[in-house]
Formats: sequence, C-alpha cells, structure tokens
Amino acid sequence: MKDLTVTVGDRPIRQVNAEIRDAVAAGRDVTVTDTKSRHNLAIGMDARANIRFEGSVGYYCGGLNCGARIQVERNAGWAVGEAMSSGEITVGGYAGMSAGTSMLGGLLHIKGNAGPRCGVAMKGGDIIVEGRIGYLSGFMAHAGRIIALEGAGDACADSLWGGEVWLAGPAKSLGVDTRLTEPSAEQVQEVEALLAERGLADSSRDWRKIVSAQRLWHFQSRDAKAWLMI
Amino acid sequence: MCGIAARIAGRMADIGTDLVELMDAQVHRGADSTGFALYGPPRRTGFVVRAVGFNRASLGVDLDDLIKVIRGYGADLESDPTVDEASSAHVSVRLEISELSDIEKWSREADELSHRIEIQSVGRSLEIIKDTGSAADVAGKHGVRGFIGTHGLGHARLATESSVVPTASHPFWARPFPDVAIVHNGQITNYFLLRDRLRRDGYRFMTENDSELIAVWISDRIKAGLDKLQALEQSISEIDGVFTYLISDSDSIGFAKDRWAIKPLVAMGDGGEVAVATEEQAVRRIYAAEGDVVNYDGPALTNTWPVQKAAA
Repeated sequence: MKDLTVTVGDRPIRQVNAEIRDAVAAGRDVTVTDTKSRHNLAIGMDARANIRFEGSVGYYCGGLNCGARIQVERNAGWAVGEAMSSGEITVGGYAGMSAGTSMLGGLLHIKGNAGPRCGVAMKGGDIIVEGRIGYLSGFMAHAGRIIALEGAGDACADSLWGGEVWLAGPAKSLGVDTRLTEPSAEQVQEVEALLAERGLADSSRDWRKIVSAQRLWHFQSRDAKAWLMI
Repeated sequence: MCGIAARIAGRMADIGTDLVELMDAQVHRGADSTGFALYGPPRRTGFVVRAVGFNRASLGVDLDDLIKVIRGYGADLESDPTVDEASSAHVSVRLEISELSDIEKWSREADELSHRIEIQSVGRSLEIIKDTGSAADVAGKHGVRGFIGTHGLGHARLATESSVVPTASHPFWARPFPDVAIVHNGQITNYFLLRDRLRRDGYRFMTENDSELIAVWISDRIKAGLDKLQALEQSISEIDGVFTYLISDSDSIGFAKDRWAIKPLVAMGDGGEVAVATEEQAVRRIYAAEGDVVNYDGPALTNTWPVQKAAA
C-alpha cells in the first residue's frame, strides 16, 4: 500500500499522532511533513510502524518506542527515544539534551552530535553517535552501550553504575567513578559489526571503553568529599 | 519550568507580534504570568516610564503623587499618561517624561510610593509590560501586538520563588539602570546573600523573586568596570543554581547559562536579526522554514547579540 503523508504544521499533536497510529494499524508506512520542531511526535509506536519525519522534531520524539523504525531527517530536541524498549530511531542531524534517556533496549543512531546527558539513566540498548556526545553523557546509566565516534564532552560517563561508553575520539574529561579500559579484540569486533550494519565500518578506530569503577556502588558518607565536583 | 525568548528584528519592526508568537508557542512552560521587555524608537532625551497602580479606583491620586516626584527632578510629562482599560484592580500606566536630573535619586524617591504605584521600567526606549495570565491574555489586555521597535525579551512564568502577581513577573528592570531588563528560566539558590550585599550598597529590590537579583547584579558589575561579556561570565561562577537568563539593554541582548546545563536555549537568524527561545518550536514561529539552529546546550555558556544601531 502507498505511504501515507501526515502534515504537522500548527495542528494539535494529539490529532497528528492519532493519524499516524491509524495509518500504522492499516499497515501503511508514514511520512510526516512540515514538522516545525513540534514536541511528542510518534510516541509509543509498535513494531508495525515505519515512520519518516521530513525536517526537525521537538522534544520526546519516538518516546516509549516498542519496535518501530523511526527516521528524523534533520534535528531532534530533548530526549529523543526516551524509555524506548525496542526498535530503531535514526536522527539525521543533531540530537538535543538527554537523547535516549532511560532507554531499555533498541537502537538510537544519531548522525550528528548529541547534547548533554546523552543516555542518562540508560538501562539497555545501544546509542550510536557519529559525532560527539555532550557534557555528562551516560550519567548514572545502569546498562546498555553508548558509542561515540568523535569523542565526548566533560564529565563523560559520570557516576556510571553499569553499562559501557565507547569512544573512538577524545573525551574532554571523565566523570567520577569511571574506569578507562582497553576493550578486547572480541568486544571491538562486536561493536564494529554493529557499526558495519549501519554503514559505518572502519577498522582503523582507536577504541577506549569506559566502565564503572564501582566505588559508588557502596557509598559511604565519610567519602562524600571524593565525589564533589565543584 | 518557565520559557524565555528574545527577538532582534534588525530594523524597526513589529517586535510585539514576534514576541507574542514566541511566548504563545511556549505557553505550556508556564501561564501564571507573561511579560515583555520592548525597545521602541529610542529617544534622545527623556524617558518612557511604565508603572503598575495597585488600586484602579485611586489611580488619579497615586499618579498625581508620582508626577510630583517627577517634577521634583526637573522633568515633566511630555504627553497625557495612558492606562489599560481592563477591569482588574491593578492598572498599567505609561508615561512619557522629559529628562530627569538624577535618575538614581529620583527612582529611590518614586519607590516610596511603591505600595500604591510601582515603577516597572524606565528607559530611553525600554518598556516592560507584564501581567498575570498567558501570552494571549497579556497581549490582548495590553495591546502588545503591533508594538514597533528594534528588539525585546519575552517570558512565560511558572511561579516557583514568589507570588503570582503582575509585579513579581518577568521581565525585571535593573532598578535604577535605564533600559536594562532580564528574563530568567531557572532557580537561583544564593540570591538572598547576593541581594543583601547589593542592598547594603544602596540597591532596592521590590519583590522576593530570585530573578530580580540578576539584572541588578550584572548592571552593578558593569558599573564596576566589567564589560558585558565579562559580567555574564562572572555570573556563572558567582550566581549559584540552575539558570539560563537573557539580559537586554539598548545595544544588545546577552545570555548566560549555568554549569549544570539544565535550561535549554536555541537561536536562529542571520544578517543582524535573531530569534532566541527556550524551545526550537518557538523560533520556528518566526522562521517557519528549516534552517540552521544553534543549540546552546553545553554547560557554562554566554553570548551576546548586537542590536544594529543604524537600523534604529
């Protein structure tokens, strides 16, 4: 069946999302036009959905995704793919603050840079950022993997609980309770295979993997000073 | 939450409508009150004064007392005062006056009447219009659309630190510095300490709002010899809390953002004009087409945008 085109403009978002859901239920792919950086588009879509946004979207696009394939042609605002459990979201340009917040699974692929707190409180899945991840990225993540091809801003992986931050470029600084490791050949192969699937194969990358130093797992108030950042 | 915005038109234009649009697009960030700092055609001498009278019924007497204070400083009305025609108890007043001999002393004396009529702004071109309600409410009541000027600020308030009354709304005038105003999104946690210090230096604060501090603090730093960008940078280490604020005067609009990078700001525009807002979808009300958006998402950032003087 032919794609359905849904126009956003200044229409109520509830109506736009209802049209997207109806089209998905009828088995049609959806192209969304005149997006005007509006918020809350395509929330809670399931595995039948294949949605493409022409232009930039606002906050929380693709939030609570459970299986949909969502493409954003240009930029995304705050928290794209927040709490996604499965599926695949691609952002063509820049992703604003807190991209992939509390993600549980699935893949978030950002072709530009990501803002601060990328993957904050992440609990599973993968985030690939072709550019740099911003300040405090991976903050308090519990599980999952953030992969940044051009490096990271300040306080990278601060207070990381579990999970991994992979960098193929420099980090401005590392956050507290982090441990910088050399990944094994098998681990690198796994990450490179994931990147190759996205057309990002490059065997010359110099990988560093950041994991939790696990000292905050057993916080003692007498150590509080060690954790003060300012 | 709160939403903030700035607009530089690059020429004399209907900045009133632009700022109403920028704030209407962010109405979900707070509709307790909405306010605008609008820069009209600049005067060579004399000032535009914006004030709020707290009792519409006694406005005549209150205004007469204020005019007496104005005349005490060698100035006079240049036209009849205008007031809003609404039915609210409080009433917004606009005065055009000639040159004051000492604006600092005059302001202190005029503030003795602030329990009856409170000065909201003084400037060669600045006019602060603020009231309770949404952008549409305030624009409708005060005729903000159609205001012709060079630049301005907007604010949508979700009240956290002080009362929901027109005078505790944003923008705040940097009492007594003519033409300086701020809007702020965030919470300042050490404002009472900094405010007490400034009070000891003779500054006067009219509200319990944390944001009122910022305008005066920056203006005081500039008076002490810093340039605008230096003052903005210094505010990041000395003002504590999460904040993104915009500060305007007749020459430029600047912003500063705290070390925690919580409160967003985006800008779009070129060729001497710019629209700045908390949310990208707001600036898209001004620039509908997809274009290059600058996201000020990082920690500890500042910038200033100049107002083209030739355009004025």
